[in-house]
Amino acid sequence: MTDIMGKRVLLLVPAITYRATDFVGAAQRLRLDVVIGSDGALPLGGQPVVRVDPDDPGASAQRLMSTIGPVDAVVGVDSQMLPLAARLATELGLAHNSVASVEAAADKSLQRQAWARHGISQPAFRLLAANADDETFVGSARALGFPCMVKPVSLSASRGVIRADDDAKVLAAAQVIREILAEIGRSDEPILIEEFVPGWELSIDGLLTDGALSVTAIFDKPDMPDGPTFEETMLVTPSRLAAPTLARACRLAERAATALGLQYGPIHAELRIDMSAGEERMAMLELAARSIGGLCSRALRFAEGVSLETLILENSLGRSGSSPGISGAAGVLMLPVERAGILQRIDGQADALAVPGITGLSITIPLGQAVRPLPWGDRYLGFLFAAGREIDDVEAALRDAYRKLRTVIA
Amino acid sequence: MDLADKVAAALQTSVLPSVIARGGEIRVLGVENGTATLEIGGSPGASLPLLGRIEQLVCNAVPEIARVRLVGPSGEAQETRSADLADRVRDVLDREINPVIAAHRGRATLVEIDDGWVRLRLDGGCQGCSLAEVTLRQGIEPLLRERVPGMVGLTDLTDHQAGRDPYYSPAKR
Repeated sequence: MTDIMGKRVLLLVPAITYRATDFVGAAQRLRLDVVIGSDGALPLGGQPVVRVDPDDPGASAQRLMSTIGPVDAVVGVDSQMLPLAARLATELGLAHNSVASVEAAADKSLQRQAWARHGISQPAFRLLAANADDETFVGSARALGFPCMVKPVSLSASRGVIRADDDAKVLAAAQVIREILAEIGRSDEPILIEEFVPGWELSIDGLLTDGALSVTAIFDKPDMPDGPTFEETMLVTPSRLAAPTLARACRLAERAATALGLQYGPIHAELRIDMSAGEERMAMLELAARSIGGLCSRALRFAEGVSLETLILENSLGRSGSSPGISGAAGVLMLPVERAGILQRIDGQADALAVPGITGLSITIPLGQAVRPLPWGDRYLGFLFAAGREIDDVEAALRDAYRKLRTVIA
Repeated sequence: MDLADKVAAALQTSVLPSVIARGGEIRVLGVENGTATLEIGGSPGASLPLLGRIEQLVCNAVPEIARVRLVGPSGEAQETRSADLADRVRDVLDREINPVIAAHRGRATLVEIDDGWVRLRLDGGCQGCSLAEVTLRQGIEPLLRERVPGMVGLTDLTDHQAGRDPYYSPAKR
C-alpha cells in the first residue's frame, strides 16, 4: 500500500459547499499537506490558499500553476470545481479524468447522448431548445408517452425536475424551468424531456481506478416520491435488493461511467429498477463525477471509522483496492423545504436527537434566510443521520425523528 | 465487558462518526472513580465542541460514569502559563487575523485557554459559513501555531448552526 502521509494535495473548494469541513478534516487525519484553491477562502498568514474562479478555468489553472508548486493530486470538492481540477491535473500530468468527461457528467444532455451511443439502458428522451414552441414540447411529450419528466440539463439536487401528466403540465413545467434557468443566467440551455421510469430508486457511490469501479455504498431511496417534484429525502444503506440485482446495477453504473469517459475518482450514480412489465429493467437516471452530495456522506463510516472523504483522497493519491465495508446499517434524511418563506426556527431538535439510533442532526440553512421548495429551491434545511444494526431500525429512527421536528417558515 | 470497553462501545456508534467528520480521533484512556478519560487527537480541537454530547451519551449508556474528561495526545505538558498564551493569541488575532477576516464580516474571539488548548469563537460572517473550517484549519490554526509556541491545539466553540448571516451558506450545486 502506498504511503501517502505528507503528500501534497490541492483541494479545490467552492465557496458554496457543504463539504469543506469533511474534506479538510479527512486531509488532516491523513496528515496530508493541503493547498486550497477556492473562489471564497481568504489567505491568512501566508497559508497556501489560492483564489480561483471555476467559471474561468484557464486563468485559474494558470494562477495555480504559477503559485502552488508541485502537487501529488488535485481533488475537486464539488461539481463546480471538477472541470478546473481536470484541466489542472491534465497540465500537471496527474492521473485524472479528462475535462470532456467531467463536463459530460455534469450535463444531462451530453450524458443522455453518450449513453445512447454506448447502449446504456436509460429512459427514452428528447432534447429541446429552451425556446422551442409549445407544439414541439407537447409533441415530444406525447411521443414519449405520459407521464413524462421535464428537466434542466445542468442542475442538481432535483432542482427543476418535474413530472408532467398531460399536455398542459408539460408546458407549465417547461415554463418553470425556463424561469429557473433565467434566474441563474443559463437561459440558453436545452430542456430535457424523458420517459418517466417507475420503480425502486438506488444510488451507487464508488471510486474509479483506471475505469474499474470499487463500490463504496449503495443507498436505497425508500421514500422517493413519484412527483411532480422529487425531494430526495431518505437514503439508507445497505440496499434491501438482492445481491444479483445489485451486481447488475453496479455493472451498469460502471459502464455508464466509462461511456462518459470517466476513469478516476468518485462517482455518484442514480438509477431506477422498473419491474412494472414483469421483468427487471434498469435505467440510468444520472451519474456525476463526484461522491454523494450534501452532508450525506456523513452517514457512511467504513472500517476503523474511515470517512468517504478519506477514501476519495486516498484514491486521488493512487491508493486503490476494494472499499472497506460499512458495519451495520446507516441512513440520512435530508430535511425538505415544504413551503416558501423565511425560515424562523426548527423546533423539536432535542427530541429528534434523543430518538434511539439517531446519530446526528445538522441544520444547514441559517435562521432568517429565505427558503423555497422544489422545483425552485437548491438546498435542504438540514440532515438527520441514523445508524443501527438493521436497516428497518434506521428507517424507523429517521421517520420518528423527522416527525418530532417542527419547521416554522413565515 | 469492563467499564472502559462499555464507554468505547458507546462512543463507537454515536460519537466517533461526528468526531471523525471534523478530522478528529478519540479513544478511551481509562475509567476511574466514575470519570472516563478520553484522549483526543487528529485535528486538534475537533472533539471538544462535542464534549457536552459525549458526556451525556456516555453517562446515559454507562450509568457508572458520572463525568467525562478529555485530554490531549499523551497528556502533553504545558510549560507556558495560560495568561501568557492568552495574551499572545489575542495579539495575533488582533493584528493578523481579524483585519483579514473582517473582509468577510467575520471576527475571531478568544474564549479561553485551557491546558494549552486555544478555544475560539467565530462571529459574524464566519459563524455558519461553509468555508469556516477552511479558514480555521488552513489559516487561523497554522498561523497561531507558528506565532504561539506552547499552544496544544485549537478548538472552535462556535455554534455554527445559530449563525444568522454567514458569508457563504452551504448548498448543493
